[in-house]
Amino acid sequence: MSIRLLALIPVAAAISLALSAAVDAVALPLFLDTTGTILATALAGPGVGIATGVVTSAVNTLRNPTFWPFVVVQIIVALYAWVAARAGLFRSFRTAVPAGLGLGVIASLTSTPISYFVFGCTTTGGIALTTALGRALGLPPVGACFFGSFVSDFGDKAVTFALVTSVLRALPRRTAARFPWALRAIGAA
Amino acid sequence: MLALALVLTLTPGAGSSPGWRPGLVVLRTALLTAAPFWVFLLVLHDVTTTVAIGLRITTMVASFVWLVAALEPARLVEAMVAAGWSASLAYLFGATLSAVPVLKARAQRIVEAQRARGLSARGGIAARLRALRALALPLVLSALHEVDERALALETRGLVPGIRRTPLAPPPDTPVERAARWALLLACLFALFRRVM
Repeated sequence: MSIRLLALIPVAAAISLALSAAVDAVALPLFLDTTGTILATALAGPGVGIATGVVTSAVNTLRNPTFWPFVVVQIIVALYAWVAARAGLFRSFRTAVPAGLGLGVIASLTSTPISYFVFGCTTTGGIALTTALGRALGLPPVGACFFGSFVSDFGDKAVTFALVTSVLRALPRRTAARFPWALRAIGAA
Repeated sequence: MLALALVLTLTPGAGSSPGWRPGLVVLRTALLTAAPFWVFLLVLHDVTTTVAIGLRITTMVASFVWLVAALEPARLVEAMVAAGWSASLAYLFGATLSAVPVLKARAQRIVEAQRARGLSARGGIAARLRALRALALPLVLSALHEVDERALALETRGLVPGIRRTPLAPPPDTPVERAARWALLLACLFALFRRVM
């Protein structure tokens, strides 16, 4: 791995964790905690993306220990983002947003078993409350747990994909050219 | 296991001041972190399931809160290098830990700057998403522009992948500690084996 890609991983992981400040300012129910993973994958491929996801989860775990089992979700997000980047889905919002919605479904399907069996669906306050709403709507326990994860992941991943598309479009060509996959992801190569 | 984890929180490590006070602060942090999980478990489950999952989560939370209180990231990086781990891997962990507060502070400055320019984070979802873009984009782009500077700094300091480095002040690692680590690993594997079989 080149030294530039090594330097990219902690920056991308820190982006995922620091975006919470921007989210708090606009008071939207979003996490954006996979932004760095998706961005690193689009810029530098799946290896760098997976490493970014694992580092993000490891550092996030020090803040909240319940994050570690969800490292699997970060890895799946990186692999999905890699497929999306190769298919050119980051080239416009019209393709990026549906791709993000698709990731929302996959991410909630992946996180539901972890959330249900390890934590009884109580990983974060928001998810626990939407799970309680699912139970109140008459869903079975696992269904309510999926409902909780789905509500939080569906919109979150679509916004994350749109944000990464914005970044890739705004990135100067000279900067983009320094990362091995960036120009291909934005359709300039 | 829970009792052991809670007792451990009372011993936050050699770096903190002596006496019980730092330990009590760590214990309180662990209990306060675990408390919301108990509330949500009670909302979602019956008492038996709440106690079973709640004890598991509290043990996990207490162990990690103790770990964070006892472990200095810089010492961890030194210990990883001394133990033969790749310096790049140690860098990834240490650099992310130090970059997060820097980027969070920058995000806060961007929020204040955009507010001063009249950015409003009120209104419907579309208006809020536009505001989010105006806040997130400068943060991410400025962070990406830093990658080159960081790469140059790493190269200057000889952190090229594949090269072994010598730590300046590696933390002491006694044979007793090494034996205890192996014993803990074996205990974990044994517990996993018993659970699965």
